[in-house]
Amino acid sequence: MIRALLVDDEDLARGLVREYLRNEADIEIAGECANGFDAVKAVAELRPDLLFLDVQMPKLDGFEVLELVGCDVAVIFTTAHDQYAMKAFDAAAVDYLLKPFDEQRFRTALERARRRISEKIPAAAGAELKAAAQVPGQYAVRVVVKDGTRIHIIPVKDLECAEAQDDYVALSAGGKSYLKQQTISSLESLLDPQQFVRIHRSHLVRLDCIAKIEPYTKDTRLAVLNNGKRLPVSRAGYMRLKELTGVD
Amino acid sequence: MHPILRSRRAYAAYLLAWIPLALVYAYLFAVGGRIAWLESIAVTVPTVFVLSFFCLFPFYSCRALPLGSASIRKVAISHAIPAMFFSGVVLAVTHLVLAALDRTFPTLRARFGILMPALAAMVFLTYLLSTALHYVFQAIERSKQAEVLSREAQLKALKAQVNPHFLFNSLNSISALTTIDPARAREMCVRLSDFLRSSLRLGERTSITFGEELALAQTYLNVEQIRFGNRLQLVQNVDAGCSRCEVPPLVIQPLIENAIKHGVATLVSGGQVVIAAKLAGDKMRVTIENDFDPDAPVTSKSGFGIANVRNRLQARYSASAALDVDVRDNRYRAVLSVPYVKGKEIRSA
Repeated sequence: MIRALLVDDEDLARGLVREYLRNEADIEIAGECANGFDAVKAVAELRPDLLFLDVQMPKLDGFEVLELVGCDVAVIFTTAHDQYAMKAFDAAAVDYLLKPFDEQRFRTALERARRRISEKIPAAAGAELKAAAQVPGQYAVRVVVKDGTRIHIIPVKDLECAEAQDDYVALSAGGKSYLKQQTISSLESLLDPQQFVRIHRSHLVRLDCIAKIEPYTKDTRLAVLNNGKRLPVSRAGYMRLKELTGVD
Repeated sequence: MHPILRSRRAYAAYLLAWIPLALVYAYLFAVGGRIAWLESIAVTVPTVFVLSFFCLFPFYSCRALPLGSASIRKVAISHAIPAMFFSGVVLAVTHLVLAALDRTFPTLRARFGILMPALAAMVFLTYLLSTALHYVFQAIERSKQAEVLSREAQLKALKAQVNPHFLFNSLNSISALTTIDPARAREMCVRLSDFLRSSLRLGERTSITFGEELALAQTYLNVEQIRFGNRLQLVQNVDAGCSRCEVPPLVIQPLIENAIKHGVATLVSGGQVVIAAKLAGDKMRVTIENDFDPDAPVTSKSGFGIANVRNRLQARYSASAALDVDVRDNRYRAVLSVPYVKGKEIRSA
C-alpha cells in the first residue's frame, strides 16, 4: 500500500486529486494539508510514501517543505506555474503536473511514482537538493530550519555568520543560534557572494558584520565581528576578503 | 547625426525647400540693392547653400536645451549667440564669394557693400526661424513617443490583466467541481467568462468610470470567491458619488489581484480585502487594504502590478495622481488618488 499526503491550499485542488485517487486500489490517502507548516509536520508524523505538493502556499512554499522533510518521499508537484519545472526536476521530483491536468496525465505520474517507490532509490538530503536547484544569479532571501517540531524562518538579511559542524551548519542570526542539516558549501552557494565570505573552511560571514581583522599567527588572522565574536581567518579566506573589499 | 543628413533623399528634399528662400534673398538683393538678377543669384546661391548647412545646427542646441528646461531669457540668449556667430561666418563667406566673382562682375563688390547689414540681419532671423522649427519637430517627436509609451502600457496592462496563473487555477477548480458539484462548475464557468469579457471590453477604452472598474473587480472576486471559499472575506465601503469618477481602465483590478495573491492566499485561514472609496475635495481616494503574512514565502514578480499602475497614472495625470502603499500591523494598504472628473458610462449591447 502506498500512503499519500495531499498538500494544496485550495480545497478544490485537493478534491480533484482525491477524486482521481479513488480508483487507485494500492494508494491510500494518509492525510491532507493546506499549508507548508502542516505539511512538514504531517510528513514527520505520517511518514507518507508519496507527496502531492503545490508550490505557492501559505507559510512555506513547496520547495521549502521538501527541503525540511528530507527527501525520503516521492514527490509529484501540482501547480499552475510552469516556471518551477526545472527546479522541480533538479529537486528530483517524480513528476510535475500543470494545473489543470486530466486523469490520464495523472495516472502517468502515478505510474512513475510507483516505480520510484518500488525501486527504493535513496534520495539526497533536502538541503543539498535545494542548493542544486538554485537559479544562477538569484540568491536566497530566507533560510528555513527545522528544530524538532518547530520551524524557524530566518531572513537572510538577519543572518550574521555560519559555522560548519560535521553534517550540520550552525547559523547565527539576531543573537540566536540555529542548527541546520546542510553543508556549509551548499549554504554558501545559496547566498550572495557579494555579501557573504567564506573566511575559513568552517566559517561563513556576512561582510557587514566584520568590525576588524587582527593578526593571529604567522599565516592566520582573526575576524572580530560587530557582536564581539572572534572567528579564525585562513590565508585563502583573507585573500577572498581582500578581493571583495579591495582593501589591502 | 542630424536625421536630415542620415539619408540622401531627406537631404535632397531639405535643399529643395531652400530654393524658395534663396529666391527671396536674391529678389531682395536685386530689387533693394539695385543689382542685376544674374549678379544677385551668383552671390545668393553659394551663400544660402552655406547657410542651409548651418541651419541644421539647432538640432543639437535644441536637444541640449529643451523648452521649459530653462528660463526664456536663457533660452533666447543661448540661441542668439550661435545666430550671431553664424551670421558672421556667412558674411565672411559672402566676402569670399564676392572676391571670386570680381573678375566676372568687376563692380559688384563695391555695390554689394551696402547690402551687407541687411544680409547679416536676414541670416540671423533665418537661423532663429530654423531653431523654432527644430523645437516644433522636437515637440512632435515627443508626443509620438508618449503615444507609443501609453500603447505599450495598455498592452502590458492587458497582459497583466488576464494573469495566466489565475486562469489555470480557475480552470483547475472548474475541473474539480465538474464531478463534486456540477452546478457550481457551471456557475464558475459563467463567472470566469463574465470577467474575461468585461476585462477585454473595458481594456480597449482609454477611460472608464470607477463604477465600471468596480464591477469588473467584482466579477474577478466572484471567481476567486469560489477558489478560496470562506478564506476570502470581502468588505466594500464605497461612497455613492465615486462611481461616476473617470479612471483609466484596469487600475484597481491589479491592486485587488495583489491583495489576494500576496495577502489572502498567504494566510492559512484567509483574511479580509477591504475596498473603500471616497471623495476628498477635487480628488477621489480609493483604498485597497488586506491582511497578509509577513513571513510568507517570497513569490516572484511581487511589486510588478504596483509599478505598472504607477507608470500608467504618471503617463496620464503627471503629478496630480498618486499610488501610495504602506504596511501596518500585518495589513497592506494601497491608496490610489486621482482627480475627480465625471465620466460617461458606455453601455454595451
